[in-house]
Amino acid sequence: MRAQSGDEAAYRSALALAATRLRGYFLRRMRTQPDDVEDLVQETLLTIHLQRATYDPALPLTAWLHAIARHKFIDFLRRHGRSAALHDSIDDVDESKLAVIEHDLTARRDIGKLLERLPAEQRQAILDTKIEGLSVAEAAARCGASESAVKVRVHRGLQRLAAWLRSES
Amino acid sequence: MKTQELVELLARRAGAVAPRAVQRRLAGAALAGLVAATIVVFAGLGVNPQLGAMGASLVLKLAYIGALVLAAGWLTDRASRPGVRSAAAAAALVGVVLAMAALAFVALIDAPAGQAGSLLLGSSWRSCPWRIALLSVPALALLLWAIRTLAPPSGRIAGFAAGLLAGALGALAYALYCTETSPAFVLVWYSSGVLLSALAGAAIGSRVLKW
Repeated sequence: MRAQSGDEAAYRSALALAATRLRGYFLRRMRTQPDDVEDLVQETLLTIHLQRATYDPALPLTAWLHAIARHKFIDFLRRHGRSAALHDSIDDVDESKLAVIEHDLTARRDIGKLLERLPAEQRQAILDTKIEGLSVAEAAARCGASESAVKVRVHRGLQRLAAWLRSES
Repeated sequence: MKTQELVELLARRAGAVAPRAVQRRLAGAALAGLVAATIVVFAGLGVNPQLGAMGASLVLKLAYIGALVLAAGWLTDRASRPGVRSAAAAAALVGVVLAMAALAFVALIDAPAGQAGSLLLGSSWRSCPWRIALLSVPALALLLWAIRTLAPPSGRIAGFAAGLLAGALGALAYALYCTETSPAFVLVWYSSGVLLSALAGAAIGSRVLKW
């Protein structure tokens, strides 16, 4: 998988494709609460990003993606106390055909606001590298920390965001 | 935040995944746990002075434990990733135990009449499994800690696999102290210690391995 080897454009398009598939996957299972779909898509994308090392390139990507989506969906049902048995019969439908094309969906929870609640140095590391597009070395020079410290801060910050997304919904 | 913006944010400067990142994390935890258990054996139990004179029985014992470590490590790796089948690794583990069982069975049949009992129980069967389970504690804690950063589909199964691996590492350290030579003893009592650790791992894993 080129995206795993650090090809940024490939990774971006892989994530965008995953978002489309996930939206279809969750929409079919959550017809009664469409408001939560986009939240769950974003939460799952964050998990995919944080867990991308657990994908084994020798195996099919869809199986990995499907397992994560399923885990997140069951997790969601558990948190909301709804029965998982209701929508399980259509597991084999081709998701790409059902996927919604809209790219502009906004989640109810705003990750941007959650970002502001992060500890200052984690937020700064994420803003510098992810929003402003500085390299890790430049971000490290700006805040006077080592490069590995910046990487750790970005990772910890994203992990914390994922944990918040889980507990808030 | 819009989903497209989140995708942009995540993709930017994402960097490459370190090759074999999962294996490295698990191997680091396993190695540190083995070192800790070895230190405990040196400091607390003492190394068997006759270790060098045990010959073939020691080699067989270490081969069995080593094979358990490899099979359990494979299983732990599989169980820590989503969407991956663990059947082959589990089969390898069962195969290792069956091979040892065959050797132990042959040794018991070959034994002179009336000796089978002592081959099975040795002189330390009461303490052996518990000591192995205790020696596996550091590796189990470190492995569970490592797996918490990964994505096990089932916390119980991943915890069980981590417990097997930790138990095998504890057994490896315990072999430095142990004076038993019979394959039947190793099969029954060493494996019991490993199983104790695995059950503990499953119980803890189902609680702490959430993501």
